[in-house]
Amino acid sequence: MKKIFIYTVLLILLVLAMPLVLSDFGINLATEIYIMSIFAMSLGLIMGYAGMVSLGHAGFFGIGAYTVAVIGQYVSNSYLLLLISVVISGLTALITGVVFIRTSKFYFLMITLAFGQLLYVLFWQLKPWTGGADGMSVSAILNLGFGEILSPNAFYYVMGVAFIIAYILLRLFVESPAGKITKGIMENEARMSALGYNVRVYKLLAYTLSGALAGFAGSLYSYFNVFVSPDLSSWTFSGQVMVMVIIGGVGTLFGPAIGASVFICLQNFISTYTERWPMIMGAILVILVLIGKGGIIHWLRYFKDIIFLRKQTDEGAPQNQVKKEEVVN
Amino acid sequence: MSIFLAQLLTGLAYGMLYFMIAAGLTIILGVMNVVNLAHGTLFMLGAYIVFTFISDELNFWIALLISVLLTAVLGIILEKLLIKHVYGKELEQVLLTFGLSFIIADVVKWIWGTEMQTLPVPALLDASLSIGEMVFPLYRLFVVFIGCLLALLLWYLESKTRIGAIIRAGVDDRAMVGALGINVGLVFTGVFAFGAALAGLSGALGGPLIGMYTGMDNEILVTSLIVVVIGGLGSWKGSFISAILVGVIETFGKVWFPSLSMLIVFLIMMVVLIIRPQGLFGREVA
Repeated sequence: MKKIFIYTVLLILLVLAMPLVLSDFGINLATEIYIMSIFAMSLGLIMGYAGMVSLGHAGFFGIGAYTVAVIGQYVSNSYLLLLISVVISGLTALITGVVFIRTSKFYFLMITLAFGQLLYVLFWQLKPWTGGADGMSVSAILNLGFGEILSPNAFYYVMGVAFIIAYILLRLFVESPAGKITKGIMENEARMSALGYNVRVYKLLAYTLSGALAGFAGSLYSYFNVFVSPDLSSWTFSGQVMVMVIIGGVGTLFGPAIGASVFICLQNFISTYTERWPMIMGAILVILVLIGKGGIIHWLRYFKDIIFLRKQTDEGAPQNQVKKEEVVN
Repeated sequence: MSIFLAQLLTGLAYGMLYFMIAAGLTIILGVMNVVNLAHGTLFMLGAYIVFTFISDELNFWIALLISVLLTAVLGIILEKLLIKHVYGKELEQVLLTFGLSFIIADVVKWIWGTEMQTLPVPALLDASLSIGEMVFPLYRLFVVFIGCLLALLLWYLESKTRIGAIIRAGVDDRAMVGALGINVGLVFTGVFAFGAALAGLSGALGGPLIGMYTGMDNEILVTSLIVVVIGGLGSWKGSFISAILVGVIETFGKVWFPSLSMLIVFLIMMVVLIIRPQGLFGREVA
C-alpha cells in the first residue's frame, strides 16, 4: 500500500506540473491522452489481469459518449450524466458479459468484435437520435460545481483528476482479494475453480468494471470533443486501443497509459507530415510483434534492473538469451 | 410471392458469399488456430484487383482468375514472412493480422482512392431468368451455384483425399501430424494460401453484388466472423448452414426492419451462444 501511495503522489505531481511546460497545443494533447489512458487502462484490466482479449471495447466508449450527447440534451447535471453513462455502459457489459465469458478465447475475441461493430452500426442507423453517419454535436457542458468548464486548462485539470481517480480505483481493485482471484483465474482457471471460486462471477466482475470505466472515458471524451460520431465504436478504434495497451505493456496497470501517450503523440506527429498514418501504424505494429519483447513498461523495468541491480541482470541476461533462441526455434 | 422469392434468392446469394469468406476464415482458424483479422481486407483486395484488370479491357473471368492467384500468392508471402512467427501466440496473432489489415486497407485506399466503385456484372450473366411472373437475376443464381459447388468441393477434399485427411488430423492434433512425418509448415502455408484465395474469389464474385467502398472490408469481416461463430469453429459445414441463415435473415431484415438488420443477426448469434456456446456444429472446446 505504501508503494501505491508514493506512485499516486508522483502521478499527482506530474499532472500538476505539466501545464508549466506545455503550450496550448500540448495541453490539449495531454487532455486527450488522459482520456485515452483511462480507456486503455480499462482494456488493460481485462487483458492483463483477467486474460480476456476484447476487440469491441470501443463499443462501451461509444455508449458513454453517446449517452452524454443524447441524454445531455435533457439532463444538465454533469455528475448525474456521468453516473448515467457509467451505469448504462456497466449494465451493457454485465448483460453481454454473461453470454460472452461463457466462450473460449477465440470466440470471445470474435464476439466482442461483432458486438462493437453492432453498436457502430446502431449509432449509424438510429439517425433520428444519433445523427447517423454525420455524428452529432454535444450540447451538454461539463460543470462539476466550480462553474462551467470551457478553457483548455480547466479541461486539462478535470481529465487529469479523472485519470488519477481511475488509476487509484483500478489499483485498489487489482490489490483487493477479488482482483487477486481474477488474476489467479487468468493464470489457471481450472485450479481456481477447483479451489471453490466461482470463476465466472469474477471474470464478469472484471468485465463489468472494465466496461463501465470505458464508458466513463467515453463520456469524458464527449465533453472534451463536443462532437461524437459512430467511429467511436468502430472495431478499428477498439483495435487501436488494444495497440495502446500492447505498446505500453500488458499485465500492468500503468503500461496502457504510457502506451496511450506514445500512441497519441505519434499519431499527431506523423499525421502532420503524411496521410499514410494507418499504414505506418500497421507497420509499427507488425514490427513490434516480430521483435516481441513486451511493451514499453517492460523495457523500462529492464533498464531499471540494469541500472539498480547490476548483479541480478548478470544472472538474468543468459536466461533472456535462452528465451530468445527458443522463440527463434 | 414473387418478391418473396426474389428476396430469398438475394439472401441465398449473400449467404453463399458469406460462406465462401467464412470457409477460408474457419479453415485457417481450425487448422492453424489463427484468427485472421486481415481476411476482410483480402476480400476487398480481391474485388479491387478484378476492377483493375477489367478496366484494362480484360475478360471478367480472366480477371477473376488473376485475382484468386494474386491473393493466394499474397497469402503465401504473408504466411512465410510473418504469420509463421506467431503460431500459438494468440495476442500476437491478433495484433499482427490487425496491423496487416490496416496496411492493406491503406494501400487499397492509396491505389484506388476512396470513391465508391462498381464492378459490372459479366456480360455472359447480365440477364434474368423469368419463370412465369418471377424474374431472377442470373448473376445471383450463378453465385449460389458457385457457393454450392465450393461446398461440394470442400466436402470432397475433406473426406475423400489425402490432403483432407491430413488437414482433419491437423485440426485434432497438430503435434501428432508432425510426428508422423508430415511437413506441417507446408500444410500451414497451403492452408493459409487457400484461405486467402477463397477471400480473393469471394471478393471478385462479390464485387458486382455489393459494390466497392472503403469500410467494406470491416463489414464483411464482422459478418463472416458472426457466421463462423454461429456455425462453430473450424467446421465449414457449420459455416455453410449459418451463412445461408445469416444471408437470408439479413436480407429479409433489411426489407422489414431496415435499421435493425444487424441487430437481428447479432441477437441470433447471442441466442445460439446461450444454447450452444461452441456454435451449431462446433465441438466442445477442451
